[in-house]
Amino acid sequence: MKPDVTRAAGFLANMLREDIVPELTGFRAGNVSMTAAMLDMIAEEWDRAAARLVAENADFAALLGNDAVKDATPDLRISALTARNEDLRTRLIALHADVETRDDPQAKDTETTIWAALRRSVEARRIASANF
Amino acid sequence: MKTITESLLRDYLAARMDGWSEIAISNLHRLPLGASRETFRFDIAYTDGDGRHEEGLILRRDPPASNVDSDRRHEFSAYKAIYGHGIPVPRMILLEDDPEPFGGAISLAEDLRGFHNSEYQLQEPAWQDRLGRIADEMWSTMGRLAAVPVEKLDAGFMEPATCETTAMLELDRWEKTLDTHDTGPEPITRAAIRWLRRNPPPPAQKLAMVHGDFRAGNFLYDDDGRLIAVLDWEMAHLGDPLEDLAWSMVRVFSFGKDERRSGIAPREVAIRIWREASGLDVDPQALHWWELMMCVKGQAIWNTCAHAWQIAPQPAVIHAYAAWWLRNAQDRAMLELMGQL
Repeated sequence: MKPDVTRAAGFLANMLREDIVPELTGFRAGNVSMTAAMLDMIAEEWDRAAARLVAENADFAALLGNDAVKDATPDLRISALTARNEDLRTRLIALHADVETRDDPQAKDTETTIWAALRRSVEARRIASANF
Repeated sequence: MKTITESLLRDYLAARMDGWSEIAISNLHRLPLGASRETFRFDIAYTDGDGRHEEGLILRRDPPASNVDSDRRHEFSAYKAIYGHGIPVPRMILLEDDPEPFGGAISLAEDLRGFHNSEYQLQEPAWQDRLGRIADEMWSTMGRLAAVPVEKLDAGFMEPATCETTAMLELDRWEKTLDTHDTGPEPITRAAIRWLRRNPPPPAQKLAMVHGDFRAGNFLYDDDGRLIAVLDWEMAHLGDPLEDLAWSMVRVFSFGKDERRSGIAPREVAIRIWREASGLDVDPQALHWWELMMCVKGQAIWNTCAHAWQIAPQPAVIHAYAAWWLRNAQDRAMLELMGQL
């Protein structure tokens, strides 16, 4: 889409903050301020969402190591990538719950790998306005 | 949602309040407060046996969808219970449980005007020299709340708990909330829940009335940084007093995006002030358990915000904003507390 979505959303957010919010008070001012902040998050997420989900799904699938979770017909729509991501996350929870109570070296290695994957996921999903 | 108007309020109060006459309502408007309840401010004048009165009041209404499973009676009862026990709160005036008159249960309370409640204002340069005072006020008030003997409170509106059961009751409550408001699989939150169950904390030192949402943004302060009143008691419950301390230090409330908790003071300062005011110990392991528990609670609330958008006919902007803004930060905070960041 042209104009670029990231640029347009960021511009609209600034316009709301600088031109509209000062004209409002109370509840409406709060609502429009939050809407501007959400546009900023959309601007941030628009460009990276698909790449992040593809990388994360590949990360989780490799970790789960099962033919059953292979993505035979990759669909790059965000909704499809998110659905696959949620399926993989469900399987990851089960695997994590299993290995974390075992003492064998293979289980410990897998647990370490799971934490690393979750850490990569969280870092990739960070938004600029987050407090932490 | 039914529109609350000045005439609706006037007619309701004329019928409800014995001895009130010549009731006049003005300046009714909604305030930008909170994600869980609608808050309105208005001016009222009326005549009763003592003469003519003029004051400002706050009206809170239960919405059709909320991020907190509570109701008007619960918060109203919490304010009434703690009023007069050394914790400054607004005076409660009226509770209407019946949703019919206003499209949702409402409560009325005195409006303490001329003060601040913004957590973001505290990040402005002009307020930096008063943060020490505000830290003292915030965590010493919280400590004094922890010290209040619950036996002296009208605590019947809160679910029973004991020093031995409160930790798992809270974990059960918020895990159930996550299950009920499912927004997709949460590997980090579920790992945290499993860890919390495998590593229960010691029994609470005492049972306290826990505020449940005591942090910057939920109390009024004046220009000198004095705490005027603690607000937003809808999650009040009987529990371990360490819970409030832990909630106030959750990373997602670090509004300065630095090491200051609640955007006000470093963790060790908050703990010291709270310990001195409460007279209670702060067992590091117990506090760690509650800090992780509060992350689970937070994620349950943010997920409930997201879930509200799936079910509410008129979803609130703040619910989508909170879910987008907070869910990943909450995951990061859990990773940090579990030593995995």
